[in-house]
Amino acid sequence: MLFETSFPKMNTGGGLVQMKSIRKRRNGYALLFAASICLAVWLGATFMLEAVFALGAISLISLVLLVRQSRLLYDATLIWDNRILAVPSALISTEGSLRQADTEETVISTFGMLIGSEIYRWGLDGVHGVRLSAVQIDKERMCLTFGDAAQTMRVDLLHGMTQKQAVLDAAQKLWHETGVTADITGW
Amino acid sequence: MAAFSFLFAYLLSFVFEGQVLYSTIDAFGARSNTYILAAIVAHFAGLFSCGLFIKTPSRAKSAMIVGMAICLIATAPFLFAPSALWFVGLVAAGYAGGCAVAAWGFFLKRFTPKDERIKSCADVLILSNIVMIAINVIAINLSHIIGLLLSMLCLILGGALTAMLPAGTNAETTTATTPETERKSPSDIKKPMLVLFLFVAVITITSGLMYQVINPAFEHLTGFVSWYWAVPYIIALAFMRNLSPKNRVQRSLFLYIGMGMIIAAFIAFMLLGRGAVDYLVIDTLMLGACGIFDLFWWSIIGETLDYSQNPAKMFGIGLSANVLGVLCGDVLGVVITSIQLPGAELAVIALTVVCVTLVMLPPLNHQLVLLLKSHAYLAAYDNMSQSQQTDIVRQVKTLDPLTVREQEVLQLILSGKSNREIAGALFISENTVKTHARSIFSKYDVSSRAELISTLLKNQTVG
Repeated sequence: MLFETSFPKMNTGGGLVQMKSIRKRRNGYALLFAASICLAVWLGATFMLEAVFALGAISLISLVLLVRQSRLLYDATLIWDNRILAVPSALISTEGSLRQADTEETVISTFGMLIGSEIYRWGLDGVHGVRLSAVQIDKERMCLTFGDAAQTMRVDLLHGMTQKQAVLDAAQKLWHETGVTADITGW
Repeated sequence: MAAFSFLFAYLLSFVFEGQVLYSTIDAFGARSNTYILAAIVAHFAGLFSCGLFIKTPSRAKSAMIVGMAICLIATAPFLFAPSALWFVGLVAAGYAGGCAVAAWGFFLKRFTPKDERIKSCADVLILSNIVMIAINVIAINLSHIIGLLLSMLCLILGGALTAMLPAGTNAETTTATTPETERKSPSDIKKPMLVLFLFVAVITITSGLMYQVINPAFEHLTGFVSWYWAVPYIIALAFMRNLSPKNRVQRSLFLYIGMGMIIAAFIAFMLLGRGAVDYLVIDTLMLGACGIFDLFWWSIIGETLDYSQNPAKMFGIGLSANVLGVLCGDVLGVVITSIQLPGAELAVIALTVVCVTLVMLPPLNHQLVLLLKSHAYLAAYDNMSQSQQTDIVRQVKTLDPLTVREQEVLQLILSGKSNREIAGALFISENTVKTHARSIFSKYDVSSRAELISTLLKNQTVG
């Protein structure tokens, strides 16, 4: 079975550009959090309890968003730091249909993928988390299957590699980093 | 041991909340809290910082002799009426005494085999406490001046005996600090040191609390308190000292017994009166537990001396944690008693503080034991051949096979490398190393690096 929706993917914004965008958002939430806390303390001193309550709620929400963006940035940086190869585009499988991701570049790494505006993670949560389970490479496409005990997902990529040696090198690096042996066909 | 015992007896009877200091201050009608706190803070600073400048046995010997000489000079003003020299003297004696005590770490490491250090520690604690009791009895029942003179005599005897110690050559230590040796030793001692520091500090908070909450309640029993106070402590030390090595392995059990005794002591303090029999019960429980606790952490510090190139630093930091714990307990005690609550409520608050600190002990002890085991295992692993090392890793089953990258990281973890060093060796980021390490822990079904090392290497011959 192929699923897509419940995987750890989140909207980001594209390679290094994606990370810049996440960082910007994180800084924005940090600023919002700091400002709302300061305002809440200031208004608290003047006993404007309704405003304090509202600002407290804003602080709490911005803190949650801040933590979420920080976590996202950490994962994106980890994926970027451990990239194995970059390919021009991706086709994401859903049940019975394919869609092309809106992206300039897809980064495949030891710990996941950065596809356009989305992050897919694997190998970050130990043996019981989402893990890369299979890789198939033919003349045009590279198919990555990943998931946990409950669900799996498949992503097809147009890899753009024309030399067999380049494919073998990529497969070797994948095996070294993730332990998954790529199934190379058609070469 | 005699040299150190006399030095320690001086500190216990005078600088470190000693009865001689209290009776001298009382005799002149001065305020004690400032002097006591200043001496403890200076003592802490001396213990903590001496490792920075005492790095060889010959320096350690000099530090002990000079330290005792400074203490001697700094104690002299207490023979006269209070003046600014009292404060300066206490600070100087506290600091110099701290340095001298920490310097002894070199001799404890060198002249005592690792397995025998618990006995050496017990012996010095017993001897110094017996001398301290004798000085206390004289200071309280005869004259504080005679007590003071006897404390100074301890310093002279300690200094003379220290001068007879063989200092060894600096070359010996220089060899020990070559980069090659440092590379071979299981590195990253900071974490065990930090855990040890926390453990000792937490375990001794109760002692500080005792000084401020329990002791003042029995001030009227001066004669009895002066000689009986440390007797249960000495008996507990003697008992722990003579445990068979097999029982010593079960020392965690004694930690729990000590915790039970401390809680019982504070409950007894709440329920009983303030007579001699009540004091007998409370002091026996309290000081008996202190004896168990003290030898417990002294023996751990003794073990850790082998993991450091500078035993004075390790010993000093370990003991400074004790002083910090007592200081925290003292401050807590002063705060609690200054609220002017009724005795029963005071005891309840003290008991609550004790319970909170005691709850922290078992997890800290668990973590410390794991870290110490890891160091012992890593030292053994370091001496194995490449094929033996590979076999060990293969012998333990994983939930899922390790990737090649994870195997590389694991090998470096077992060489005692820190995350930063592993990152440097493999040209990856530190966060990547942490992620691989988490994955390895998950595959071996463990939760920490120490547990991983323990799981992989526990069946191997250590030492």
